[in-house]
Amino acid sequence: MKGFGYLVKEGFKNVWSNRIMSIASICVLISCLVLTGAAALFSLNVSKMVEEVGESNETIVYIQPGYSQLEAVYVGKEIEKVDNVASAQFYSKEQAFEQYRKTLGDSLFSRIEDRNPLPDSFIVVMHDLSKYEETVAKIQQIEGVDKDTILNRKDFADKLTRISNLVTIISIGVVAALLIISLFIIANTIRATMYSRRFEISIMKSVGATNSFVRMPFLVEGMVIGLISAIIATGALALVYQGVGMVVENAQSMFSFIPFTDVLPYVAVSFAVFGVFVGFCGGFLSIRKYLKMEGNEILGW
Amino acid sequence: MIEFQNVSKTYPNGTHALNNVSLRIDKGEFVFIVGASGAGKSTFLKLIMHEETPTSGEIVINGNKLSKLKRRDIPYLRRHMGIVFQDFRLIEKMTVFDNVAFAMRAVGESTATIKKRVPYVLDLVGLKDKMKNKPSELSGGEQQRVSLARALVNNPEIIVADEPTGNVDPELSHEIIELLNEINSMGTTVLVVTHEHELVREFNQRVITIDKGRVISDNRGSRRYSGYETEDYGDEDYSLSYSEYEEDMDLTDDELTDDYSGYAYDDDEPDNPDVVVVPDDQA
Repeated sequence: MKGFGYLVKEGFKNVWSNRIMSIASICVLISCLVLTGAAALFSLNVSKMVEEVGESNETIVYIQPGYSQLEAVYVGKEIEKVDNVASAQFYSKEQAFEQYRKTLGDSLFSRIEDRNPLPDSFIVVMHDLSKYEETVAKIQQIEGVDKDTILNRKDFADKLTRISNLVTIISIGVVAALLIISLFIIANTIRATMYSRRFEISIMKSVGATNSFVRMPFLVEGMVIGLISAIIATGALALVYQGVGMVVENAQSMFSFIPFTDVLPYVAVSFAVFGVFVGFCGGFLSIRKYLKMEGNEILGW
Repeated sequence: MIEFQNVSKTYPNGTHALNNVSLRIDKGEFVFIVGASGAGKSTFLKLIMHEETPTSGEIVINGNKLSKLKRRDIPYLRRHMGIVFQDFRLIEKMTVFDNVAFAMRAVGESTATIKKRVPYVLDLVGLKDKMKNKPSELSGGEQQRVSLARALVNNPEIIVADEPTGNVDPELSHEIIELLNEINSMGTTVLVVTHEHELVREFNQRVITIDKGRVISDNRGSRRYSGYETEDYGDEDYSLSYSEYEEDMDLTDDELTDDYSGYAYDDDEPDNPDVVVVPDDQA
């Protein structure tokens, strides 16, 4: 199209000349993108954890409180007799305590050292994970096993998956709402630009500018807003992700987060595509009305 | 060029703006449309520009029936016309050059063409040295000449001027019409809507009088342009010279209908359009 460069330049000018509204649109779109991105990354990490858990074959069996270490070792022997159990390794409450102290720091534990609240436990490895449920049921029958607290990473993974699904559902709702709000705000921003440029639009129409030509600067305006939002949102998400990642990994060393640099290209590209698309739609929606009107109607003369 | 065949226009509010109007304006003509406020002049112009469509009848422009015109072709119809408004409609924040260039950009002309064409047209209307000024720094007459330059810049076949002298000092009105005459002599059809009878008398061109939505008189002036030259806007130094114009005042007062006041009833908008329609060579 002839004059394309001019139209693109006009679009950029629109963003600047209407900057307050542009900033408002950009902020809303950023929130939308960051939330969408955060939800997506959360699901990704959960799937990764679930996958890792599926591959690992360790179940922690706790011994009832009040059992001495010797009694606990006998319970361990019983556990080893159960079909499908390959090994049961003793993990004393002192070892567990040390582990927690290493992770969480000394200050918290120095005062309760003589009153260790943790139970003894066994790390059980099974031959065949497909018989997991029945094996656990048999272990639970054994005297001295704390049957309500058999903790395995599979339970943990199931819980995570449930949370992840819930988060997905909630975030789809939130993102859908934000998407509509973004669209609405962008459309209004562009409508405001259009209003301030109605005089020019009416002249363009009277000299025979085609609709696509009149429309172009406003579409560019929307797409520029979308692109700026995408760039800032990518940065913001990186910060949030690394912040959260650090906190979680400090507290809980079982799983490692997917490094942000691994997902960065996908995040950046999908944000850009999404932002530009929303901006385009916003521009398209808002100019429709103006394109149907003639110069005199636009200006109200 | 422009033909109205039994055209009537009734607005949704029941106003009968035009009533069974039939007329024909040929290529290269200079025509004044006169009529009181609300007589139907605005509607007439809007119909030519296809901003409104007739309730009945047919309008033919350059052999194209407007009733058959597709929506997407309307812009191309308008490229055959240059419009001059009473209130100039110049963009305040743009320079004179950019105001004129704007019309070319709007139809997608290249920057190179714009840089060549705009100074030429501004020279034509005698404003070459004001190219970098803002409209607010110009007199009313000069602003209207900028508006005229903008109407001319895309080389239309028809110039439609809607009350081009309405906001211009009376002593400069003559100058504006003279300029339109000059443009007409280069082969462009010119349509001037006005209520200034002095001017109309002075120029002795064809005068179509509209009253209550009807054409009540159509007087052919004696100065009707008959020859036709193709406008050449190459490198030639083309300056307008008013002295070339011969005063031709054959038309007497009797030939003009002055008695059309007091009929303000139809149009919903101020009835002072300054539209210049330029003939369409590109059709």
